[in-house]
Amino acid sequence: MDNVLEKTGMKKSFGKSLLYTLPMFLITFMFMTGGKPNFSDPASALAVLTVFLLVNVLYFFMHYTGKTDRYRAVLFIIFALSLSYTLIHNMLEVRKSMSFSQADILECKIPFCHLVIPMMILPAVFTKSIIFPGSIIGGFANISSMVVLWLIATIVLGRGFCSWGCFYGGWDDGFSRIRKKPVIKKISELWRWMPFAVLIMVALTSALALMPTYCSWICPFKAVTEFEQVTSVESATKAGIFLSLFGGLVIALPVMTRKRTQCSFLCPMGAVNTLANKITPFTVKIDKNSCNECFKCVEVCPLYALTPADIKAGKVSLFCSKCGKCVDACPKKAINYGIRGIPAGTMKNFSRNLFLFVSFLFMAIFSAGSIISTFHGLLKLIF
Amino acid sequence: MKKVKIIAGISWAFLCLIMIIILFPGLNSFSVSVSKLPFMKLNPKYSGGEIAKQMITASCTLDIRKPVFNGFFKERNSGFVQLDWHGTIPETIKDSIDYDNDGNKDFCVLIDRKDSKTVLSPFNKKVKGVIISTPTSYGWAVRVGLDKN
Ligand code: SF4
Ligand code: SF4
Repeated sequence: MDNVLEKTGMKKSFGKSLLYTLPMFLITFMFMTGGKPNFSDPASALAVLTVFLLVNVLYFFMHYTGKTDRYRAVLFIIFALSLSYTLIHNMLEVRKSMSFSQADILECKIPFCHLVIPMMILPAVFTKSIIFPGSIIGGFANISSMVVLWLIATIVLGRGFCSWGCFYGGWDDGFSRIRKKPVIKKISELWRWMPFAVLIMVALTSALALMPTYCSWICPFKAVTEFEQVTSVESATKAGIFLSLFGGLVIALPVMTRKRTQCSFLCPMGAVNTLANKITPFTVKIDKNSCNECFKCVEVCPLYALTPADIKAGKVSLFCSKCGKCVDACPKKAINYGIRGIPAGTMKNFSRNLFLFVSFLFMAIFSAGSIISTFHGLLKLIF
Repeated sequence: MKKVKIIAGISWAFLCLIMIIILFPGLNSFSVSVSKLPFMKLNPKYSGGEIAKQMITASCTLDIRKPVFNGFFKERNSGFVQLDWHGTIPETIKDSIDYDNDGNKDFCVLIDRKDSKTVLSPFNKKVKGVIISTPTSYGWAVRVGLDKN
């Protein structure tokens, strides 16, 4: 196997891997420390150092081993867990509860998340206003900065956002890795169109009700972030829906299928990001000349982005999140990261290096704040 | 043609690299620019509407906001008016409100802050009932349901 990797050039020597890690090392150092490490609080200095090392060691191993997904997934899953920890911790500290109150809604203090964006487009166009009780600018998770972050990340990564940027995706990604073999093997690939149906439904109902209906009624991640206080039958029903969808689509089905079922079958933002795959320069390409149609990649793809028909046609579908699982699994190294315009099977190393740098840098910096504050919180708990 | 495609693809990829590198240092200023776009303001359903008038007493101020009937296509028949009390608020609040500025009081609201009890006495058939009555970081807020016609 090592020989195959050496031959295709994905695996690098120790020194070369260090050299490739150097730019990541310098940029993440600047972002995490502001250029001046602060040792006055040992717990926060240790938290920053741990996250800084974690990020750079993972990136180093991507180059050294030639494997992508396993190292990406470590940071992606830690990001999801730490964001929920940070949010819940803040809620408990400030509000003594995981639920937000009517006053928080009236005062527009609800943290904004990117999943609201598809629902606010129609009202923004037709009513020239935002239908969310959050802060436009300033404060934690304000609307303007989340829009900027998501917009740039989606233009650059397309659906890659769903494996390198989204702070929810790590949940079902994590649960999909628990079993070695799936219990449920066959789910019709037609289901992968479901997020588009959800997108159309929530975009229309949100416009008509002037309320983000997905957040109010459907979002499974309310179970691990924050939700409305249960004070009525309506709010109890909503809490029931959030918990059932989280239990079913984020825990049970990913464990049984080894697929990211929430992201594949429900998330409306996943549908928008899928469309954005049309503009991003980064793709995953199949080299028909090397492929022996063993369909190992189809088996491992967590987002139903590959079907035997796609492989036969030599094209990865638009649903691809560039997680790298198929690239790592292909015994013939026939499936690789690519750049639009460059023919499949050529400039594989250059395309992978550039994509990894861009996508990992985004994830490292975007996730650093919440991972550092989680580590800091845990260190304070321990010592 | 093949060469042009390759050069275009690589250029686009490098442009994306630059976008990601400048995204985080520039996030604050990009966000401020985005926040100035014409549609980046909260819908009155969430902001509570513009302040229409203020009633100032010795210790506290009451903001009476414009009634909100916003809908997607056109105004709806049902909406609300929001009242916000700021400052040092007495244990019991009792205020009579003329929300439509016709010179007649439309309802009286009585709030017992200790028991969190709110009693609404409507003098106008368009006034429907209390939607929300809650303590806030600045004092107290009430939304009263209204019919437009
Ligand atoms: S599909 Fe949705 S929840 Fe999943 S990673 Fe993408 S944006 Fe996040
Ligand atoms: S096609 Fe490959 S890179 Fe794309 S989502 Fe599936 S496994 Fe990940």
